[in-house]
Amino acid sequence: MNVVQDKDVFSSENGIKSYLARVYGQIPMEDFRYSPERGLNMFWIIMPSPAYTGEALCRDVHGALSENTKYWGDAYKLIRDINYFLETIPQYEANFSQDQLNTWKGEMLFARAFTYYALAKRYGGVPLVNEVLKYLEQPIEELKVPRSSEAGAFDEVKTDLDEAYNLLPESNQVGRATKYAAAALKSRAMLHAGSIAKYNQISLFDDSNNRLCGIEASKANDYFKEAYDAAKLLEGHFSLYKNAWKADDKNAQYQNYIDMFFDESSKENILVREYQYPNSVHGYDCYNIPRQYMVGGYSSYVCPMLDYVELFEGFPKENGKIKTLENGKYVLYDNLTDLFKDAEPRLRATVMLPGDEFKGDNFESWRGIYIGPTTGGISPLLPEGAIEKYEASASKDNLVTSSNAGQTAYQLSNGQMMNPAGRSGRFADDAACAISGFSVRKWMNPDMEASLVVENRSDQSWIEFRYAEILLNRAEAAIELAAAGQGANYQADAAQCINEIRERAGATLLADASALTIDDVRLERRKELGFENKTWWDLKRWRLMDKEQNNTLYRILMPFYADKENKWFFDARYDERAERYTFDTKWYHVEIPSDEVVKNNIKQNPGY
Amino acid sequence: MKKKVYSLAAGLILLLGSSCQKFDNYDEPQETLKGTIIDKGTGQPMQTEVGDNGVRIKLLEYSWSDNPEPYFFTVMQDGTFNNTKIFKGNYNIEPQGAFVPLVQTDGSGNVTVDESVTTDIKGAVTLDFEVEPFLRVEWVGEPSNDGKSITAQVKVTRGTANPGYQQALSDVYLFIHSANPYVGNNNYDQRYVKHLSGDELNDALGNTITLTTTGELPAGRTYYIRVGARIDKDIAGAKRYNYTDVKEVQIP
Repeated sequence: MNVVQDKDVFSSENGIKSYLARVYGQIPMEDFRYSPERGLNMFWIIMPSPAYTGEALCRDVHGALSENTKYWGDAYKLIRDINYFLETIPQYEANFSQDQLNTWKGEMLFARAFTYYALAKRYGGVPLVNEVLKYLEQPIEELKVPRSSEAGAFDEVKTDLDEAYNLLPESNQVGRATKYAAAALKSRAMLHAGSIAKYNQISLFDDSNNRLCGIEASKANDYFKEAYDAAKLLEGHFSLYKNAWKADDKNAQYQNYIDMFFDESSKENILVREYQYPNSVHGYDCYNIPRQYMVGGYSSYVCPMLDYVELFEGFPKENGKIKTLENGKYVLYDNLTDLFKDAEPRLRATVMLPGDEFKGDNFESWRGIYIGPTTGGISPLLPEGAIEKYEASASKDNLVTSSNAGQTAYQLSNGQMMNPAGRSGRFADDAACAISGFSVRKWMNPDMEASLVVENRSDQSWIEFRYAEILLNRAEAAIELAAAGQGANYQADAAQCINEIRERAGATLLADASALTIDDVRLERRKELGFENKTWWDLKRWRLMDKEQNNTLYRILMPFYADKENKWFFDARYDERAERYTFDTKWYHVEIPSDEVVKNNIKQNPGY
Repeated sequence: MKKKVYSLAAGLILLLGSSCQKFDNYDEPQETLKGTIIDKGTGQPMQTEVGDNGVRIKLLEYSWSDNPEPYFFTVMQDGTFNNTKIFKGNYNIEPQGAFVPLVQTDGSGNVTVDESVTTDIKGAVTLDFEVEPFLRVEWVGEPSNDGKSITAQVKVTRGTANPGYQQALSDVYLFIHSANPYVGNNNYDQRYVKHLSGDELNDALGNTITLTTTGELPAGRTYYIRVGARIDKDIAGAKRYNYTDVKEVQIP
């Protein structure tokens, strides 16, 4: 006999709310508590998502990864809870208003769609279980639900969301689904399905010719159209956050972009997951704070790489790469901050740049002091393409560096004392520092008291859907439709969405709408949604991940102080750790847990 | 308390012991399946790499079930295979690698080509498979060295005219390793390898490509080198390489 019975839960609003809370808590949001290595709802995020996507380097990540935790069993437990609710609530209808019933049902369908999408983007086709299976009562063959086609899984997401959209209210308690959250998820999922149809090469059929992996190319436009239309539903109900934004004021635009992630009343937020100390917490600030601010024993787990920084504008570039040399000699700067002084505001709000102000201090990131000759300029410290450490190179006698954070100040030729490395690194032998020369800025709470930056103490909300993503979904679907000859209006609309994003970001606007390409839209997306755990899936659905990471060495930017000149220079080079990333193409479809394959006779994905 | 722990432990040992009592009454696997993957165009064994991303042989055993779990084993570097621990039974056998697949399906899942083999495996069965490799990678002359680096020349040509497998040449590698001859994309020394990709390969097909190792090779060692190339085509979860054979180079 169960102690808490159906009637105890389903008879009252409070009982229902507790059931809802349980479901919301398990929705597979890849938020502050997710990492590909350890899965969902984990507090210990020291191998974070951006370390696998060409966004950041992390000292504990040494290469590419599929997903080490298989999200399968938890998904079906959640789906079962949802189905149980949907099947049980009709018996208690008399206790509630129609609005209440509609909202709850809509929320359940939203949660189910979220879960099926989480499965489909990983595995392709998956078993669709839309009723509570009765173990023991049903014959075993009925319990072995085979995989649907990949298109079938995405279509189930669409069906659930269309119904959820009709049932859900326009607004709801913070953290709970609305009509618009359903439309937002639909635009994301349909865009994903369209990309698979268009770019995937892999196919796997079962014995009845269901395509378990891959979607027919002919369906791409239908999915892009669905994505576009769903994104349009949000128009007029949300807007980009611009409360502190001012035209032609980079500082205001930067501050506005920072504020966006902390203003609970932001008009850009569509669905958030709330945290609240001490009941529900995460450790984002603790794990990612630069070394000089460390109090919790952790720091610097997300160090944006130079390749990512170079996607942005506002600093000297040559052929898309940062320009640090002039006629073969380093360009010298008076201040550490000078190289990036005109950087795009969104870049500074996303990536902490050397010398940037944070919490009333300056983020100190430099590699060493150059004490060699400077007459006629300083030649590159390393040959081009080198991966060795400076300490093992021919330049080592011209450099003073520090092996770890316990450094001894060096007396400069002008008599002043200076640390060989910045207080946040980079240190030669201690990687608990800004190993790329940068540190992540996005989501970092500027108002959190320094002494509280410890594990399980952060409680800023995770923004799962914000309007910028919807505009980017819309632009991407539109540009795909325009490319497929579905009308020139789509091209113009895509350009307008991109310009809205760029304007708020403080970036240069598109001059010519007709010149906008799919590559531009994707680039904008990588910049706008960086460090929001979205890029990994984007690169995968575009089937570009194996090209992004094909024995790839990422690059870093190491500032140096030139003693005799009293100036700074910057060395762009390969990751000193010489870590190479190779994404295996079979990972486009994640391996299904082998026990599920055996016990349910489910067909495994190709390559495993 | 201690007693409790001991008795628990004793109980566990008893349980463990008793589970060993039942004898497995099925004979151990002792049948042999061996053979060679042969390049249809040249009649020579097709070079590949050791491991899952080289050539793997998929076995479906139909003696027990119409819908069996596949079982895989991999082909050796020189294109031959020899598995001496196979259970007696009726099998469907399909090698998968950097060649035109032996089993192909159309867009709706209908099998259009099926050159896989279904046979009883009993005793020693020899099966050779003739395949059309995506690429043929051939040495041009002998590799040379200047005491610090190794330079090799190769020619990469298409190994098939099948229109479905004419994707662009995406990567060419001069793989190098000094510890053992099992060199390839599965095993190479990151420091010295030479990699060409993307635009660097625009005119590469059919022309002689010159590849020189990166960095300075430590002297007094034997190096094993080979060149691998691949097209932008996924086969059974990997974009697989075609290879030259392995050459040994002494740096004095």
